[in-house]
Amino acid sequence: MRVPLSWLADYVDIELTPEALAERLTLLGMEVKAIEQWGSDWRNVVVGELLTVEKHPRADRLSLTTVTLGDGSAPLEIVCGATNIAPGQRIPVALPGAVLPGDRRIERTEKMGVVSNGMLCSGDELNLTSDADGILILPPETPLGVALQDLYGDTVLDVDVKPNRGDALSLVGLAREVAAVTGGTVRFPETDPAEAGEPVDRFVDVEVRDTRLCSRFVARWVGGVEIGPSPDRVQMRLRAAGVRPISNVVDASNYVMLELGKPIHTYDAAGVATAEDGRHRLIVRRAEPGERIETLDHVIRTLDPDTLLITDPRGPVGIAGVMGDAPSEVKDTTTDVIVESAIFDPVAIRRTGQRYALRSEASLRFEKGQEFRLARIGADRTARLIHEWAGGAVAPGRVDTAPDEPEPSRVAFRTARVNQLLGTTISEDEQRAFLDRVGIATEPVSLPVEIPVSSDPKPRVVTTRDEALVAIVPTWRRDIVIEADITEEIARVRGYELTPNILPHTPMPPFRDPPLEVRDEIRETLAGAGLSEVVTHALVSPKIANAFRWEAPLPTVAGSSPEGGRPITITNPLSADHSVLRPALVGSLVQVVSTNLRHGVDDVTIFEIGKGYGADGTDAGGAVREWWRLGLAGTGAGDPAAFNRPTRPYDIDDLKGAIDLVAGRLGFDEPVYRAERGEPLLHPGRAARVEAHRDGMLVLAGVLGELHPSIADEWDLRARVVVAELDVSGLAGGKRRAVSAAPPPRHPSSERDLAVVVSESVAAGDVAAAIRASAGNTLTELRLFDVYRGAPLGQDEKSLAYRLTFRAPDRTLAEAEVEASIAAITEALRTEVGGRIRT
Amino acid sequence: MELTDLTRELEALRADAVASIEAAGDVPTLEAIELDVLGRKGKLTLVLRGIGGLPPEDRPKVGAIANEVRGAIEAALAERGGALRGSALEARLAAETVDVTTPGRPIRRGSLHPIIETVREIADIFGQFGFVIYEGPEVEDDLTNFQMLNIPPDHPARDLWDTLYVDVEGHLLRTHTSPGQIRVMQAEKPPIRALLPGRCYRYEAIDASHASEFFQVEGLMVDEGTTMGDLKGLLDQFAKAMYGHDKRTRFRPGYYPFTEPSVAFDVECLVCGGSGCPACSKSGWMTILGAGMVHPVVLQYGGLDPERYQGFAFGMGVERIANLRHSVGDLRLYMENDLRFLGQFR
Repeated sequence: MRVPLSWLADYVDIELTPEALAERLTLLGMEVKAIEQWGSDWRNVVVGELLTVEKHPRADRLSLTTVTLGDGSAPLEIVCGATNIAPGQRIPVALPGAVLPGDRRIERTEKMGVVSNGMLCSGDELNLTSDADGILILPPETPLGVALQDLYGDTVLDVDVKPNRGDALSLVGLAREVAAVTGGTVRFPETDPAEAGEPVDRFVDVEVRDTRLCSRFVARWVGGVEIGPSPDRVQMRLRAAGVRPISNVVDASNYVMLELGKPIHTYDAAGVATAEDGRHRLIVRRAEPGERIETLDHVIRTLDPDTLLITDPRGPVGIAGVMGDAPSEVKDTTTDVIVESAIFDPVAIRRTGQRYALRSEASLRFEKGQEFRLARIGADRTARLIHEWAGGAVAPGRVDTAPDEPEPSRVAFRTARVNQLLGTTISEDEQRAFLDRVGIATEPVSLPVEIPVSSDPKPRVVTTRDEALVAIVPTWRRDIVIEADITEEIARVRGYELTPNILPHTPMPPFRDPPLEVRDEIRETLAGAGLSEVVTHALVSPKIANAFRWEAPLPTVAGSSPEGGRPITITNPLSADHSVLRPALVGSLVQVVSTNLRHGVDDVTIFEIGKGYGADGTDAGGAVREWWRLGLAGTGAGDPAAFNRPTRPYDIDDLKGAIDLVAGRLGFDEPVYRAERGEPLLHPGRAARVEAHRDGMLVLAGVLGELHPSIADEWDLRARVVVAELDVSGLAGGKRRAVSAAPPPRHPSSERDLAVVVSESVAAGDVAAAIRASAGNTLTELRLFDVYRGAPLGQDEKSLAYRLTFRAPDRTLAEAEVEASIAAITEALRTEVGGRIRT
Repeated sequence: MELTDLTRELEALRADAVASIEAAGDVPTLEAIELDVLGRKGKLTLVLRGIGGLPPEDRPKVGAIANEVRGAIEAALAERGGALRGSALEARLAAETVDVTTPGRPIRRGSLHPIIETVREIADIFGQFGFVIYEGPEVEDDLTNFQMLNIPPDHPARDLWDTLYVDVEGHLLRTHTSPGQIRVMQAEKPPIRALLPGRCYRYEAIDASHASEFFQVEGLMVDEGTTMGDLKGLLDQFAKAMYGHDKRTRFRPGYYPFTEPSVAFDVECLVCGGSGCPACSKSGWMTILGAGMVHPVVLQYGGLDPERYQGFAFGMGVERIANLRHSVGDLRLYMENDLRFLGQFR
C-alpha cells in the first residue's frame, strides 16, 4: 500500500524521519519496501503568477502570457494552449531545462513565431490531478518562485501489508501501527455528516436475501449533489496513493477506502429503479442461473448462482463488492447519490473476483474480511465527504440491515506460556504494556479460565488454573484469535532484537540415514570423472515430453519406485514450454547439449540426478508417480584437446566407462550391456540396455546409446550425442554399502592371452559371458585388450583378444589346472558362439 | 721361488692392472678387467699360487704385499668406475631432457551444480545440529500443500503462492517445501529435527529474480520446550556458518499462515556490509528466509497436541542463498546450464 506521509500525518503525529519511520515500521512487521520521493520528477518547476494573458498574434487557439516568479527579474513570455487562465492566477511554471513526469524535457521553444520561455503545467502533466485540459490553478496564497516540489512534494512509503492484516490496508490502520511505535495517539477522522431534509428511508430501501454472503448493508442518501472535480489537494493525495481521481463523489468513496480500509460503492440514484412505494430499492441476492449484467467495463457477463448481486426491482445493478453496472454509475449528470457500505463474505468475493477476473483494490479488502463497525463508519464518512466536496444534502439516518455491532472479542492467555513459546522472561506488567501499545487492553481473570490454544478448523481449548489474563481485542483486529496470536503481538511490539539467541538443548532425534548419500556419491564420482552436473526444468513442452520418452520402460531396481503412467499436464501453465512434467530426463539433457552447442561449447559431458513423473489412469483420479533417474549425455572430444595426445570423439564407450565407474563405486557387480535395436530415440546399431546386480538383486538398469541421426537432425544437433538414462538403487534414499575387504592374494596368478575369432555378428558380451561361464572359479579377471579385423581372418570375422587371469586363493595353480580351464573355454566358445582360438 | 721374484710379479701385476684400468673407456671394459685380475681365476690368484713354494717365514710378507696390491687395484677400479658411471648418467640425463614448460596433459574437469551443492552445504550445517533429511513428493495434494498448513481454500493468503495445478484431481505442484512439515510430523514422534530440501513450483513468469521452478529447504524442529529463542540462535549460527562469523542477523515480524508468531530472517547486506546499497534496497539487510513457531493448527494436523508440543519451522530459497554465496545476479543462469557458467563450480 502506498502511504503519502503528509496524508498519514492527518491521523497521527510523526516525529521520525521517513527513513527512521520506515525502519521502525519494518521491525514492527509493516515492511516498508520502498521510500519514494513524490514530486522528485518535477525538476525546475516553480510557482509563478500570470501578469497578462493575451491572444497569440498568429494562432487563435494559443495564448501569449507573461509570468512573474516574483524575484524581480523580467517577466517571462510563455505561450499556452489552455483556456482556464487569467491574470492574477498563481500557476506552476516549468522553466527551460525543466523535467516533468515521464522524463518530459521542457526547453525554450518558438511557437508560431513567438519564443516561449517554458511551459505552464496542467495537473495531469505534473501527475498531480486528473485535469489534462486546464492549467493547475494554485491557491492565491501560494508563495511565488518556490519550487513546486517544496510545496507539493511528499514522501510516499510503499508498505507491504500482510494478508492477515486487512485492517492495516488503510491510513488509519497504519497510523495505529505508527502510534504503537511512537506511543502517540491516533486521531480518527470526523465521520458524522451534517444532515438535512427528509430521512433516508424516505428515499432508499434495502433488502438482503442472503445474510450469510452479506452480513450487513448500510446505505445513505445524499441528494442534490453537483458533480465536479475534487479539491486539488484531495486529487493530489489520491494520485500520490496511486488512485486516479475521477469526480468528487467517486473520489470520496476511494478516499474513504484508503483512509479507513472500507470499500464503498456509490450509485447514481437515477440508475436504481424504485419500487411501488416510490423508494429506490436495492436487493442483495444470488444471481439466477443464466442472469446477465453489463458491468462498467462494458463487458456483458453471464452470472452463476454463486455470484452475489446488488439488484433493483428491474434486475442487477452490480456484482457485490466487485463492480457496478453502467446505468447506476455516478456521472456528470448525477444529482442524487446512494452510498453503499456493506460487509460481504470474503470467500464469496474472492471467488467472484477470480471467476470474472475482476479483482480490484476494493475486492482485495473485502477478501481479507472487514471490521463489522466499518460498514456504519464508512457510510457516514463518505456521506460527509460528498457533502463537503460536492454539496447536496445528506438525508438524516441510515438504512442499516444489521445495526447491532458485536463487542470486542476476549482472548485469554497465560503469561508463562507467552514466555515458554518465545524463550523469554517478560513480566506480566511488561506484557500488558506491550499489548496496550497496539490497543489491546488486558484484564485479570478469575480461574479456572478457558485458553484458546488452537483455532478453526481445529479448535482446541484448554481449561487452566495457571496465571492468565484476558486480552480485549479491538474489533478491527480480526486476526487475533488464539493465545499464540497474543504472543506474537507481545513479541513484535517488544522487538525481536530482545529475543535471546539460544541453541537447542532439547533431546536429539535418533539417527536417520540421509537420503542424499547415494546421490552425492554418484555426483562426486561423475564430477571427478569429468562430467558436469546440470539441473534442468522438470516442466517441459509437450513436444519434448512426447519426443523424448523411452519406448520400453526401465526395469525397476531394488528399492526404487516404478516408472509409468501418462504424462502429468499443468492445467494453468504460464507457457507451453513448461506445461508437462517430463516422463524422462533424456529430453532435458539433449536440450542442455543443444544450448551449449549453440553457445559454441563443443565438448559437453553432463549428468543430472532428477525425477520423471507420471499418473496412473487416464482420468483425473489416478495416483501420481515420481521416480528418480540418473541421466548422462556427452558430445565432442573424448579427452580434452592436448598437443601430446591424439583427439577422439566422445562415444558410447566413454558413457559405459562412466556407468561402470558408478557401479564400481557403489559396490555393484560389473554392469552387463546388451544390444538394443528397438529404441526409436537411439541409433539401432549403437544402443544398449545395461543391468547390474548385487547379491543377485537388480540394482542398476537403464538404456544408453547414440542419439538416432534423424532425432539429432530434427533437433538441429550437428554433432553425435550419446545419452543414457538409468535407475540406480539408492537414488531415492539409501546407504552406500561398506566394502568387505580381503587381504592381497598370497599366491601368484597365471595369465593367459586368448584371441577368439568369431563372426562379426557375435557380441563381445556374449563371448565374455561364454568364457566366464566355462572357465571355472579360478578365473578372476577377464579383460578384452584388442579387437582385430583383416587378413588372415575371413571377411565377416573379427578377433577378440582377451587377457585371462587365473588364481586360487589357497594355492599356486598347477599348469595342468590352467590348461584344463583353457580347454573348457575353447570348447564353450566353439559351441556357444561359434568361435575358434587363433594361434 | 724367491720372495723377490714373487714381489716383483705382484708389482708388475699392479702396474699392468692400474694402467689398463685407467685406459678403460667404459664400464663393461672395467668389469672385464676386474674379473681378469681379481676374479676367482684371475691373475692375482694365479700369482699367489706361487706362495706355497716360499719358506713359511716369508709367506706373511707376501700376503701383506698381495693385500696392498689388491687394495690398490680395487681403489683404481672404484675411482675409474665412478668416473665412467658418472659421465654415462650425465649423458643419459642430457639425452632425456624435456621442456617442462609445456602445458600439462589435461584431465577432463567435471563440476557440481551450485544449487545442489548449496543444498548440501545447508544440510551439512543443520546436520551438525542434529537435523536429518526427509523428502516429500513434488506433485502434492491441496490438503497437504495448503489446508493442513492452515491455508483453507479461498484464503487470501493463497495469494502468497501462485500455484500451478495439474490434471490429477486435488493435486498441484507443491509451491513450497512446507507440506513436508505435515508429512514428517505424521511419520515421526518428537523430538523432531527435520530438514526438507526439494524442488518447488510457482505460477511465476521467469526473469532474473523469479523462477517457476526453484529449490527450497524447509526446517522443522518440534519438541516439548522448543522456543523462538532456539530458532533465533540456530538461524544466527546458520548465517554465520554460511556467510561468515562477523555477520550480524536480525528477526523482524513476518506473516505465514502456518507459523505464529512468524518472522523474516535478515542478514547484514553482504554487498555493503549494512550501510545501504542498491543490492539491499538501501536497507542494509538482506532477507534470506522466513520462519516462525509452528501454528497450533498445523501441529494438530501433524497429529501433535499443541498444548504439549511446540516448535519452529523455517523455509529458505536455495537460489537466494546461492546467489549471495556466489555473487550470482540472475536466477536463470542456474537452469540454463551453460557449461561456461557451470564450469566455474569445479
